[in-house]
Amino acid sequence: MDTLQHLVSGFAAALSPAYLTYALAGCALGTLIGVLPGLGPAAGTAILIPLTFKLDPTGAIIMLSAIYYGAMYGGTITSVLINVPGEAASVVTCIDGHQMAKQGRGGTALGIAAIGSFVGGIVATVALVVVAPPLAKLALRFGPPEFFALMLFGLCLVSGLAGRSMLAALLMTVLGLLLAMIGIDPVRGAPRFAFDVPDLYDGIGFIPVVMGLFGISEILLAAEAPALAAVRTRLSRLLPSREEWRRSIGAIWRGTGIGFFLGLIPGIGSIVPTFMAYVAEKRLSKTPERFGRGAIEGVAAPESANNAYANAAMIPFLTLGIPSSPTIAVLMGAFIINGITPGPFLFQERPDLVWAVIASFFVGNVILLALNLPLVGLWAKLLEVRFEYLAVGVLLFCLVGAYSLQQSIFDVWVMIAFGVVGYVFRKLELPLAPLVLGLILGSPIEKSLRTSLEMSGGDYSIFLTRPLCVGLLIASSVVLIGSALKLAPKTLREA
Amino acid sequence: MIKALAKVAVSAAALLAACVAVAQQFPERPIQLMVAFPAGGSTDVGARVVASIAEKILGKPMVVINRGGAGGQVGWTEMARQKPDGYYLGYINLPATNTVILDPERKANFGADAFVPIINQVLDPGIVWVRADSPYKTLKDLVDAAKKSPNTIRTATTGILSDDHLAILMLEEAALGAIFRIVHLAGGADQLKEILGGNVDVAFDNVGSIAPRVRSGELRALAVMDHQRSKFLPDVPTMKEVGYPSVISSSTRGIAAPRGVPPAVLKTLEAALRKAMEDPEHIQKLESAGLAIKIMVGEEYAKYYRETHEQAKKYTEWAKSRAHK
Repeated sequence: MDTLQHLVSGFAAALSPAYLTYALAGCALGTLIGVLPGLGPAAGTAILIPLTFKLDPTGAIIMLSAIYYGAMYGGTITSVLINVPGEAASVVTCIDGHQMAKQGRGGTALGIAAIGSFVGGIVATVALVVVAPPLAKLALRFGPPEFFALMLFGLCLVSGLAGRSMLAALLMTVLGLLLAMIGIDPVRGAPRFAFDVPDLYDGIGFIPVVMGLFGISEILLAAEAPALAAVRTRLSRLLPSREEWRRSIGAIWRGTGIGFFLGLIPGIGSIVPTFMAYVAEKRLSKTPERFGRGAIEGVAAPESANNAYANAAMIPFLTLGIPSSPTIAVLMGAFIINGITPGPFLFQERPDLVWAVIASFFVGNVILLALNLPLVGLWAKLLEVRFEYLAVGVLLFCLVGAYSLQQSIFDVWVMIAFGVVGYVFRKLELPLAPLVLGLILGSPIEKSLRTSLEMSGGDYSIFLTRPLCVGLLIASSVVLIGSALKLAPKTLREA
Repeated sequence: MIKALAKVAVSAAALLAACVAVAQQFPERPIQLMVAFPAGGSTDVGARVVASIAEKILGKPMVVINRGGAGGQVGWTEMARQKPDGYYLGYINLPATNTVILDPERKANFGADAFVPIINQVLDPGIVWVRADSPYKTLKDLVDAAKKSPNTIRTATTGILSDDHLAILMLEEAALGAIFRIVHLAGGADQLKEILGGNVDVAFDNVGSIAPRVRSGELRALAVMDHQRSKFLPDVPTMKEVGYPSVISSSTRGIAAPRGVPPAVLKTLEAALRKAMEDPEHIQKLESAGLAIKIMVGEEYAKYYRETHEQAKKYTEWAKSRAHK
């Protein structure tokens, strides 16, 4: 009852003209940040913090949060249209989203992404209101050993990303893990495989690699056969057909669930939930062969997961004061600079602020939908631009994006190199998604493994004495054995 | 002869005038201020506040650029090879900058003399803290437990060879027989998560990041590693008060330039940055973020840099040779 009252007054505040304007401005800026590759939500939010110095704390936080979830949606647009993820969490969307665009269904892909994001965001926010504090406490039991087991589980799911050959997928995963090894060892601090090149000390940047693998290689492939690259989107087909709806609804709900639960666990990051949602859809599907060829579930699930994650990640932040992603850490900086400490006492000390911000999450998600659905048609028109012009634009866009990451020309070279690598791999029909998954999971797996062993003084039994950890390890072995059984006969058949 | 002398004097005066003119002209274009950590961290917050005030004083934009990664090494490596013209400044975080230089495994390609300290902005003292319901009520409880069952108390740092890591070694040195089981976490947020989740028993960090939570009663601080009590936490005793006067540790953030910047330019920068840091807006913004301002300029800061380096050297060597890593 009390909660409801607070929420109502929160809405009254969030719907006041000033705060509504901040939310609108934040959503628009966020979408722009999302569209620009390289400039991710974390850096984008940080750069815009000074903009909010002049606002009151509530207004500042409403605007910065809106930038955050706006960016989560914006990244989708370029993933679908030009196969370049605008921010890291939209990598998975490239796989089927861009295929849909090539089939003239780009508008539908963007539409379902907007709707999925909306559902994910709203559901996660409702959950934030209803069940937040106890859930957040529970999620804290997820220590380094459980985290390790979860990441291992994620790695076992790679089989779900395999195209024709499971062996090729495994090969690509290992390659991704090896690439993740480059740079300064996360625990001991010694450089590995860096060959005394300072630029490599921080490892190979994830974003330039992905932009190269997907975006640049796309241009190279299309340049070979420009006739095939011409795409025409029928404007009448912006909203999903009945059949597409039927396929998407389940995917949206499952994606939302996965994104929400993973959002509760601090440190997961925004990319893993999208991968898990995608793989879950593919595994559950009766027609997994459609995935990678423009399956609408392959867009709906990760996009819902993405926004559910973004909003759910606010739960450990608001209730415990633990920033669970780099972007939220930036938001936390904005809270602190305004003299507000997020944590268990925030709800008692500043209910006006907390509830206005939570109410603004609802408002913001509605704004995003209203902002993006009408624009979908406009974005889709971009695909009608002739390839010669579009390719140059995309290339320029990627170059500037890679450079803007940290003003480093090295990142540009990394992107170009991986563009060529991606081109070769695609010609050889080696799947790219497992490589990306290995690259993402490599560092957190290593770090959580070693932190766990530091906790136990080097005793491996720590993984077998914690129930949650054991459960996850069993789940991983089930998935692994299941995939292995599938692998054997297939290889035999091919042989 | 006199004529010659006069000539020399005149040309010397001309040269001086030219120098002054150059100094007066500085800055002619935007100044970059590098932060060796990602956007949004506490060094970054401080940098953005000071830059927004200093650029009004200098009359040219001061742009904060984040070159995070490898515990600051990426940014400092880049800073060390910049042209020393005063248009590229950067934050040095002592003792993190020192340990990156000192740890042979890091293979840093710059030395302590690569940077000229200009002005220190923040000194954040170390602090030992536990969960509010922890069995360790005082530092004595903790040290006694660490002596009674050595290498069992899971103790979090904010990274290998961070100031917090060195502080644990200092406490072990001062309290002979006490051994902590060191767990290297990535930062303050991770410490909070693992302590609240019961995966780690005690954390070594800095006052700024946790003071509000100690005040609210959510966490308990056992001791502050400074000569006097922190004004953010007046109820928490210092290490000296609890019997370990040698355990003094802090993390500082200050602005430096690559070696070789003309003295006149340095003076201009020092004066402008000092004025910016003494500005009420700067003081208010930093204090509300829990960052204790400690302005040190010129020789005072340079001396602090050298002393920190010597001290860090001892503990870095010790950390590397410690049996329980």
